[in-house]
Amino acid sequence: MSRDSNYDHHISIFSPQGRLYQIEYAHKAASSASGLTSVAVRGANSCAVVTQKKIPDRLMDPSSVTHIFKITEKIGALVTGIYPDCKSAVQRARYEAADFTFKYGYSIPVHVLARRIADIAQVNTQSAGSRPLAAVFLLVGVDDEKGPQVFKVDCAGHYLPFFATASGVKEQEAANFLEKRVDNMKEYTTDETVRCAIMCLGSVLGSDFRGSEIEVACVEGKNGKFHALTEEEIDNHLNAIADDADA
Amino acid sequence: MGDSAYSFSLTTFSRTGKLLQIEYALNAVANGRTSLGICAKDGVVIATDKKLASALVDVDSVNKVEAVNKSCGFVYSGVGPDYRVLVRKARKSAQSYFRMYREDQPVSQLVKQTASVMQEYTQSGGVRPFGVSLLVAGCDGDGTPRLYQVDPSGAYFGWKATAIGKNYVNAKNFLEKRYQEDMELEDAIHTALLTLREGFEGEMNANNIELGVVRKSDGEFRLLTPEQVQDYLDEAN
Repeated sequence: MSRDSNYDHHISIFSPQGRLYQIEYAHKAASSASGLTSVAVRGANSCAVVTQKKIPDRLMDPSSVTHIFKITEKIGALVTGIYPDCKSAVQRARYEAADFTFKYGYSIPVHVLARRIADIAQVNTQSAGSRPLAAVFLLVGVDDEKGPQVFKVDCAGHYLPFFATASGVKEQEAANFLEKRVDNMKEYTTDETVRCAIMCLGSVLGSDFRGSEIEVACVEGKNGKFHALTEEEIDNHLNAIADDADA
Repeated sequence: MGDSAYSFSLTTFSRTGKLLQIEYALNAVANGRTSLGICAKDGVVIATDKKLASALVDVDSVNKVEAVNKSCGFVYSGVGPDYRVLVRKARKSAQSYFRMYREDQPVSQLVKQTASVMQEYTQSGGVRPFGVSLLVAGCDGDGTPRLYQVDPSGAYFGWKATAIGKNYVNAKNFLEKRYQEDMELEDAIHTALLTLREGFEGEMNANNIELGVVRKSDGEFRLLTPEQVQDYLDEAN
């Protein structure tokens, strides 16, 4: 019966040390299940998100495999983890954002949405009926009052605002790369923000990639729309990075 | 709350008569970042260690100390997401009281309300106890400054000074030596900073701690800005 503390691995009850195993396992699933690493960077007036594009089968339509989702016109999310869980969490986030606009008459600020997604994730960690979703959100947008914002929302319902962050298999190495550059990020132009995110992924994966192997999206300015970059735009950035490296 | 498929309580008595889930929840609290509070004769101060794991976090936008109504504030040690649930419920309860009586809910009533929510989660179907202990600072109905601690079990205690989270035993010993009955708020803030520094890993500065203060004179709970915290830190050096 669940009275035995042996069930602390099965449902979200405390272990004798005070840990919640289900949350820890959900994090592991979210980091390693997809095999991807994702990066988000905040600049002076924009945010960029980058992740790998791994198409499992060459017969698949590449445009249907994406981890980048538009939550509202101005807020986007890069969600890593178990793909169906990601899709479910995104649908809920879209609903919450739309419901906010319906109720209050203006679009939801990024930090309010981040908090809402986090609070919803927390419910799964406290009631036994459902497991936490193995999905980590990198939520980006440009707020009317606070400027560009990047929030990481995880399986446990923790959410924090970041200057730059990463999630996925190589999140620690990516975070190390970003920490070295964090002081300059406040001044980054949109191009610099995008390129920093791409370079971070490149350095962590130890390989150069082509425009078709990564997904990039960004949002610029208070009135900007969150949009994914086309392959051509990505290639332009990659070329610019290569030129800078040679120079 | 708890509308899960489990209609039985997950917190049940062990053979020796203990409620183990609550004890484990207290362990989760003891693993959390230190928080402390001191009740002076003219106000209350609560403080916490806000140290975050990465230099990439935008620390200025993270708040652990939260105002619940005009005269009352919370801080916690333990599981952050659980804390947010309690803050939200407390704010709703405070607003609901205000709607009825057009007065701020006194801190002792707010604490009872919050504690009763925490107790529900130890006895209801399919939910686990909250993994946080709260420190609540506020001025009561008659203006007296009060400091309360609320535990995962739903038990609450009024304190003159206390600490929760990592290293709380040493912090409480430190506080016991320094506490005086007729302490003034400025001394209390000073002592709070010294106590926090005792167990602090690394350098303590205005950006990795948070302070909240209620003064008896105006009965308003305020979070201190980093500049104000820096002033107090400079005095303490």
